[in-house]
Amino acid sequence: MKGLEAKPPWPGSAAAAGLAFCHVCDRVAPVAEGHCPRCGAHLHTRKKESIQRTMALLVASMIAYVPANMMPIMVVEQLGGGTEANTIIGGVITFWEMHAYPVAITIFVASVIIPILKMIALLWLCAAAGGWVRIDGRRLTRIYWLTEVVGRWSMVDVFVVAVMVTLIQLGNLMVIHPGPAALAFAGVVVLTMLAAMSFEPRLLWDRAKAGRKQLRKAREGEE
Amino acid sequence: MSGGAGCGNGDEVKHLEAWPRVEREQLAVCHFCDALHEAPAVEEGAAVICSNCGSSLYRNQHASLDRAVAFGMAALLLMVVAQGFPFISLSANGMVSGMTLTGASLSLAREGSHLLAAGVAFCTMIAPSALAAGLVYVCLPLRWGKAWPGARGVALWLYRLEPWAMVEVFFLGVVVSLLKLVKLADVSIGVAFWALGAVMFCLAAAIAGIDRRELWDRLEVALQK
Repeated sequence: MKGLEAKPPWPGSAAAAGLAFCHVCDRVAPVAEGHCPRCGAHLHTRKKESIQRTMALLVASMIAYVPANMMPIMVVEQLGGGTEANTIIGGVITFWEMHAYPVAITIFVASVIIPILKMIALLWLCAAAGGWVRIDGRRLTRIYWLTEVVGRWSMVDVFVVAVMVTLIQLGNLMVIHPGPAALAFAGVVVLTMLAAMSFEPRLLWDRAKAGRKQLRKAREGEE
Repeated sequence: MSGGAGCGNGDEVKHLEAWPRVEREQLAVCHFCDALHEAPAVEEGAAVICSNCGSSLYRNQHASLDRAVAFGMAALLLMVVAQGFPFISLSANGMVSGMTLTGASLSLAREGSHLLAAGVAFCTMIAPSALAAGLVYVCLPLRWGKAWPGARGVALWLYRLEPWAMVEVFFLGVVVSLLKLVKLADVSIGVAFWALGAVMFCLAAAIAGIDRRELWDRLEVALQK
């Protein structure tokens, strides 16, 4: 890998040259054209109001995360007996107590750890892009990549509900209904996915470059 | 602006061929850090990475069109199998209940969670099938340098659909449910379970098989004819 051996000089940004890549077909074209000459998709130097949009979706997902955890995700109705409502955390605890550790750990990671880490990561990325936090561009780029790849796996719990509801409905011992938290949690996953998509990682590098420029100016001023 | 993209060569390169392009001189911009590079045509097996942040810009993979078409078609066929057979059945106290892919969404709808049902159907059936079908529709004629009508529109939607196809996540959900149910009843795994596992593999292989830059470069050449 030639490119990685020595840190090469900054090759110049596309934005400075008035160019942008197309998000659909990857062609590079002048932003002034407005649309990609090859596939017709909208062209932009930076995603519009990226920080605001990401933050708005992130806050919405945080709000949805409250009912997702407070309300039952599955309602188990024992025929002839009572009903039992399970929250996400309640389910994890039940399986842990039943010594079903793989299930407990999978659900805990997918439904609790990943969404929370993802929200923190996006918050951090927004703070970095807005200039409130010092950043290391390469590391944050990696964090961004991770939030995009890992986020979808949170949907597991929603699918588990779908499978359980389908399978246990016909049994004569108990019936399982989807709880309101299932929709709320699906909302959390979709909203965080949309938040990650509307984030503009190039802002991180703009910030890093601006910081470097400022530092250089300050040094020159001292001399 | 200067070309600073690094090329990493594969060890065994059989066909030293770059894919066809309309414009010989092309540029590439890093999606993460916005660095502007020259985009050289590269032979099969080579990848181009950003010299500034190290993320991958594009790569030329072996037999990319063949792979996209073959795995795409396999994913579609297996999807039909996964639809037609139950993938888990459960027996407890003499009652047997089976479950199909469509059944999972339908039962949610029956329970009154229409929005959730639609979401599950979209992520597990509609998006993956459309993705596989679209990929085949675009890539199959490209093997002969041709494009079928509407190929541009199909390709445009292909990559927007990609994040919402969640077969692999659903498959994990099924496995988790299985582990949950083992304690309650006799669970048997059906044909569709394995079919779905294969769909998961084929779909991932089909999408990963072709670089979007290559797909669009080839499509552009085909559309000009």
